[in-house]
Order: sequence, then C-alpha cells, then structure tokens
Amino acid sequence: MDRKQHPYIPTLVTDLTSGGISRRDFLRKATLLGVSAAAAYSLAGISEPSVAKAEDMPKGGNVRIGMRCMEIKDPHLADFAEKSNVVRQVCEYLTLTDRNNITHPYLLEKWEVSEDLKTWTLHIRKDVKWRKGGKALTADDVVWNLKRVCDPAIGSSMLGLFTGYLVQEYDGDEKDEKGNPKKSSKLWADNAIEKVDDVTVRLNCFAPQIAVPEHLYHYPMFILDPAENGAFGADANGTGPFEIVEYAVGKGAKYKARSDYWGTGPYLDTFEYVDLGDNPGAGIAAIASKQVDGLSEADAVQVNAMKNFPHVAVYKVETTQTVVARMHPDAEQFKDKRVRQAMRYAIDREKIVQTSLLGAGTPAEDHHVAPSHPEYAALPKYPRDIEKAKKLLADAGYPEGFEFDMVTRPDPIWELNTAQVLAEQFKDIGVTINIKSLPSAQYWEVWTTAPFSLTAWGHRPLAIMTLSLAYRSNAAWNESHYSNAEFDQLLTKAEGILDPKERSKVMAKIEAIMQDDGPIVQPFWRIFSTVMDKKVKGFELHPSQYIFAHQYAIAA
Amino acid sequence: MVKFLLNRLAMMLLTMLCASFLVFAVCEYTPGSVARKSLGPFATQQQVDLLTVKLKANDPLVVRYGRWLGVLVGAIPDPLQDPGTGLNFKDPRGAQYFGNFGYSTLNKLPVNDVIWNRLGNTAILAGLAFLLIVPLSIVFGILSGLKEGGALDRTLSVICITFTSIPEFASGVFLVTLFVILWPILPGTSPLNSDGGWAIPYQFVLPVAVLVIYDFGYVARMIRVSMIGVMERPYIRTAVLKGMSTRRVILGHALRNAMIAPFTVLLLQINFLISGVVVTELVFAYPGFGRLILEASLFGDISTLEAATLITVAIAVVTQLLGDLGYILLDPRIRVR
Repeated sequence: MDRKQHPYIPTLVTDLTSGGISRRDFLRKATLLGVSAAAAYSLAGISEPSVAKAEDMPKGGNVRIGMRCMEIKDPHLADFAEKSNVVRQVCEYLTLTDRNNITHPYLLEKWEVSEDLKTWTLHIRKDVKWRKGGKALTADDVVWNLKRVCDPAIGSSMLGLFTGYLVQEYDGDEKDEKGNPKKSSKLWADNAIEKVDDVTVRLNCFAPQIAVPEHLYHYPMFILDPAENGAFGADANGTGPFEIVEYAVGKGAKYKARSDYWGTGPYLDTFEYVDLGDNPGAGIAAIASKQVDGLSEADAVQVNAMKNFPHVAVYKVETTQTVVARMHPDAEQFKDKRVRQAMRYAIDREKIVQTSLLGAGTPAEDHHVAPSHPEYAALPKYPRDIEKAKKLLADAGYPEGFEFDMVTRPDPIWELNTAQVLAEQFKDIGVTINIKSLPSAQYWEVWTTAPFSLTAWGHRPLAIMTLSLAYRSNAAWNESHYSNAEFDQLLTKAEGILDPKERSKVMAKIEAIMQDDGPIVQPFWRIFSTVMDKKVKGFELHPSQYIFAHQYAIAA
Repeated sequence: MVKFLLNRLAMMLLTMLCASFLVFAVCEYTPGSVARKSLGPFATQQQVDLLTVKLKANDPLVVRYGRWLGVLVGAIPDPLQDPGTGLNFKDPRGAQYFGNFGYSTLNKLPVNDVIWNRLGNTAILAGLAFLLIVPLSIVFGILSGLKEGGALDRTLSVICITFTSIPEFASGVFLVTLFVILWPILPGTSPLNSDGGWAIPYQFVLPVAVLVIYDFGYVARMIRVSMIGVMERPYIRTAVLKGMSTRRVILGHALRNAMIAPFTVLLLQINFLISGVVVTELVFAYPGFGRLILEASLFGDISTLEAATLITVAIAVVTQLLGDLGYILLDPRIRVR
C-alpha cells in the first residue's frame, strides 16, 4: 500500500472487518480518499468487476444511437444528460464515478487529501494530449476550467456544488426590489484553486468536503480547451477519444475516432447520434428497421414494444432519478408546513409506480435521499393516510382544501402521467390541482418561479450533491425556494463527516427535516431502461444515462 | 392582366405584413423573453437583464416590429449579431442584407441556414404525395359521381370515408407495424440520408402513403359531389339523348365543368401539404418544415416563426393566384379585370 495513504484508511479497514460499514460504503470512501479502485477492492476482499478486455473487442465500424440533439451553448452550462453526452465523446472529466458509485481518476493520475479533508491535491496525467495542436494537458488548463465554473457570470451549476467549501456567497452591490442586496458568489480565497506545478493543482477549501472527486465528475465539469473559451460545435478541441465532425440541432452528431487517444479504445471508427424527435414511436420504428443500433433511453412503454425484437437487448438499472412535486413555502397556501405534510400523506406511492411507470420504479420517502445512496439513513416509512392529511389541512386553516395550479411538461410522458395520478390522489384530501402542462422549452423558463411544479431530477451518486444543489438556501437550482438555516448547517456538517456512523446520524436529522418541514412530495425512484442491438459490445447502462462511445464496439 | 397580377402582388404583401405583425404580437404573450431564450434556462437573471438592455427588448412592440422589418429588408443590421451581445451569433451572409430573417434562437443558426433545407424536404414529400393524390382522387371522384347511389359509388365512398377518417398518427403506426415490424421491407424512420442502411427512395414510401391515405379520400368526395351536380345538368342529358357515347359525355362535357370547384380544393391541398404535415413528419422523424414550425412555436423562436409565416402566406397567395388563372382556363366565361 501507498505510504502516503490517508490516516483514516486504517479506521475504515477496521470498520469494514468489524462489520461497522458496508462494503459498498467502504469502497466508495476508500477510493474518495485516494486509494485506487483495485487496491480498495482487494482490501474489501472482493474481486473487481471484470471489464471487457481491449483485445477481445471487435475493431472498426460505426454505431448509431438515437438521442435528442439539443442546442449546446457552453459545455459548462450543460443541463441535460443528452447535451453532456454530445460533449462527453470529445471532452473529458478529471474523475469518473462508475455505475457502482466508485470514483476513479480519469484525467487525473491520482489525488491526495489532507487529514482534515480541506486540501485536495490533484495530480494530472502526463500522457493526455489535446487533439488540436498536440500539446499536453496542463495545470493551467485545469485551473482555468475550475475557475471558470466558479464565475457567477458564466452560470454553471457547478457553482452550487462548490458553494460551501470553495465558493462563498456575499452581498453584491445591486439591490433587489425589496432593497435587500442581491447575493453573488466568489471563490473564498485567491489561492482556493492553486497551481502547484505544471501537472499538479491544489484545492484549498475553507470547509471539509469528502465528495470533491465526485463533484469533479458532475456532468458540466468538462475540461475544455481554454483557447476556445466555452464554445462547442463541430471541430471543437478536446482530450477525448473522438473528434466531433458534425453537429446539427434536431438532426444529429457525427464523430471520428482519434488514432492518438491516450486511453483505451476507441474501438469504433465512427460514432453517431441521430435525433428522432419527440415521438416515442419513431424510436421503436428506427430500432425495428435497424436504422439505429440503440437509444439513449427507452421508457417502459417503448421497452414493452421492443423487447420481443430478436435483435434487441434490453438494459435496466436502478437509479436515483426522480420527480418531485415541490411547493414554494413562500406561497400563501404552502406557507404552513402542515399543508406540505398533508400533501405527503395524501399519496399512494405504490399505485403511482404502477400507473405512471408501469412498475419500473421504487417508492421514495420525500427527502430526496435514495436507499442506494451511501449516506442513506433509514427512517420509519409512512403509508397513505387520508384522515391525518385532512386533519393537518384543517389545522392549517384549510378544512375545505384549496385549489392550485401545478406546472409540468408533456414529455417524457411518464412525467405528465405522474402529475395526473398525483392530482387524482390530492383530490381525496380536498386539494384540487389544475395541471398546467407547458412545452419543455417554456417549462424551463418558469421551473424555479412557479409556486407549485413537478420537476424531474437526474441521477447523482450522492444525496448530498442533490441536496446542496436543490435545497440549500439560495443554491443555483433551488427551485423550491426552500430556506432553512438548520438544514443548511446540518448539510455542511454532513459533507465534512468521514465516519459513516456519525454521518448517518446527521443524515437522519436532515431526512427528518425534509419529511417534517421540507418543500417536496416525492413519489418514487425510477428504474432506467434502454435498448441496444445485440451486435453492440461493451455497452453498460449508466444510471446517469451517460454514453461512453469509446467503450463500445460492434460485431460484424 | 398585368394590373390583375400587380393587384395580387400588392395584396400578398399586405397579407404578409398583417400576418407577420399578428405572429409578432401573439409571441409577446408567450412566457420567456428573447434574452432568456438566447441564453438558455440556467442563465442568471443578471445575464438576462444585461442582454435585454443590449437588445433593446424593452422597447414598445411596434418599435421592435419595425426593427425586425428593417432587418428583413436589409435596412439595418441584425442586432443579435452585434458582437457586443456576446452571443457569438454569426451569419456568413453578413448582418445586413435583403431577406435577412434574423437568427434562430432555437437552433442558434441564421434562419436562412435552417429553413430552406427543411422547406425543400417537405416540398419533396408534399410533391410526391400531391402527384398521387390528384389522379387517385379524380378517378375515385368521377367513378363514384357517375351514378349517385350505385354499387360502385357506395363501395368507393366507403373506402374514401374510411381512409379519410383514420388520423395520420394512427395510419402511420399501423403502416409501421405492418411494413417495418411484422413484414420488414421498409424503413421505419426517414432521416433522408442512407447512413442507416436504407436507400432514400425507400424512406419516402411510408410518409407519402400516410399523406395519400389521409388526403385523397377527402378530395375524391369533393370531386364526386361536383360530378353529381354536373351529371344532373340539362346539357349532359342532351348529350346523352343525342346518342353520344358515355366516354365522350364524361371526358368532353362533364369532366371540365366538374373540375371547377374541386380545382380550388386541390390547390388548397398544397397549403396543407406544406404546412400541415407536422404529424407525419413527427411519426417518421422526417426533417421537414412542419416539425420546424412546431418546434419553433413551442420554443417561441420568433425569427423562425416569422420566416415560416411569410413563406406559408406566400405559398397560399400563389396557389390562390394559380387557382384564379386555372378558372380562366376551365371556364371561358370568367374574365379577370
């Protein structure tokens, strides 16, 4: 073992042998603290999941995947998995969290963290070359990218993740309508992101944070060529396995393999995305006539239609993808937390999973922490309780219920279906919900301002990532306008605790606050599925819907 | 005749002005500002406010409409392409030229780079469908109009009404199930490139079939009614009584008269086929004009919508003009003034 290992590693090993923590938690922790995945697996006494060997993969050929191709303004602003999938083949991340929630070095060779979890030293690989110009990836490039996402004028969602340990909020010069100073953010210190030498970068944080390597894999955190200043399109520079040769919104993207890629692969000569539009039937038809080799996503209805095609393989993975019916606590009707509680007691989760997902989901518990998240703390579950909900409403001053608009979007169809089932179930406690279904583009205009809306949240390996993006006061994506000082404080505390037993105590408090006072009704976690032609080799379904074309090959 | 044409041209320009102003005004009431749409949903309010000021998007509606018109005729440069906005929008034709439809906020490309290609695709689809709809509906219409209530009329009417009442999305799914899944001889989507292993001509079969099935029955019904009316006219009876062969009665006397009213209907189908094939285009993922209009209107992409409006108005006015000229050929009693 490495002599410079983190002092907490022996404690983790002891906890593992005594049964104090699960193997999954051990693997995640040990790798976050800088132990290599291979070493961590061997310490845990289990064999590392086998990866297809490069020499076994067929070489050459083309793979076409059906996926919406939306406008990409700036990779650091990527806000949908689809957009990041277009960039992902060209630009890369510093780290990579795999489908088993283990984080590996990617553009990094390794990282080290200080005992207090405040100083992270990132060692950049020396063999990584930019496609254009052939120069090596340097610490300057990495520092430029990290500083860029921390600039509030850029508007990257990374800002929300870095707030609390690298970025601090302060009162800006401008005032809002009420005369209060508008909040802005900045790096907490000039040396917060520090270049040590040409291949080493150090993050000096003001608070402990264990999830830094996972944050570095959040989907907008691409390492871009500073010379291109955030622009992306055909011929964009990158360190990744492919060159993008064509990109057209609503049509598709075409890639050509790089022959001088630093990593393993790519096995394909070329790779393509084809935009099949919003109609789910087009995806089925394109698979049936083999016009595409796979889809980036296939919902339960599509999978049912395609599972009997002889050339098609179905892939499924449990995710922490979800929808939340979130209420603004600053709206008149939702001011009283008893109303928000009543809404939570009003729904029958199992029925929603069956009706709107055709069974492809598991019930959630209104705190946005999934059982598969390593920091999950089990709380007592509560069933649907109409009487209790009605009483809570009456106590809050709404004995007759009330009427309210809920904003949602029509696609994917399971979102609208969920909205309809929820509205039916809320009716039973006297709350009449009028569904306002807005086209996606308009929906994203109002998603943070509508007092009541149903919003889909993507998969993230850690619950604290989502919690700090979505529910910390003033966070970039705090669509529910939730602001609770105790919650913020506990969240910051949880982010810095290493001991799983101690942290789970704090998480239990956070989850309890969400269930008691929180702004959301969360019906389920989604099981994510898709289809690929059986000829496509090396495909693994990532719960974040991520596509890594350099791992794929196609059999003749 | 020249006066008539000039008159029509003036009317066309007036209609275009009214329609474009209406679209401009209606877009006002959809949520989201131009600045917000250009920057995307996750831009900060601060960025949006800055761009709004730069674009002068807070000016009154009429002023902004005037500015759009100025960009279109090439009197002023497109403000979205001003490097000062930081949007990085560039049009290879320059910022100021006649026919500048502006910049599409949805596609982040000049509208002229997007729209003509899409229109061309739809024109091919519409043209092929029209080539089949015209002869089919004329044959069906005449045959059933010859003897109202006869066995042939009843049979053909059932076919026409059945086909017309099946919505496009239903017949699309039905045809895909038959010819793509159960009996795989045709491609299920029409991206109009042969990368997926299907030659382009094959990709037209199903979308054209859906359009023909949906549309020809309706036109045939129109021709049938007109034919029945003509067949009851005294001059037809005279022709029959003087011993003329049925073939000569129909082709020489009935057909031309029976075509006057359906002629307009047929020309109206061109308008429908250009701007109304959105369902077919969605079902087959066809990169056409209808899908572009749908996406632009859902997104609130004013520049693309305005361009589409002007184009569809132009097509409608031209087909109308063709209709009027056609009447003159069909009925010598009609004169233009």
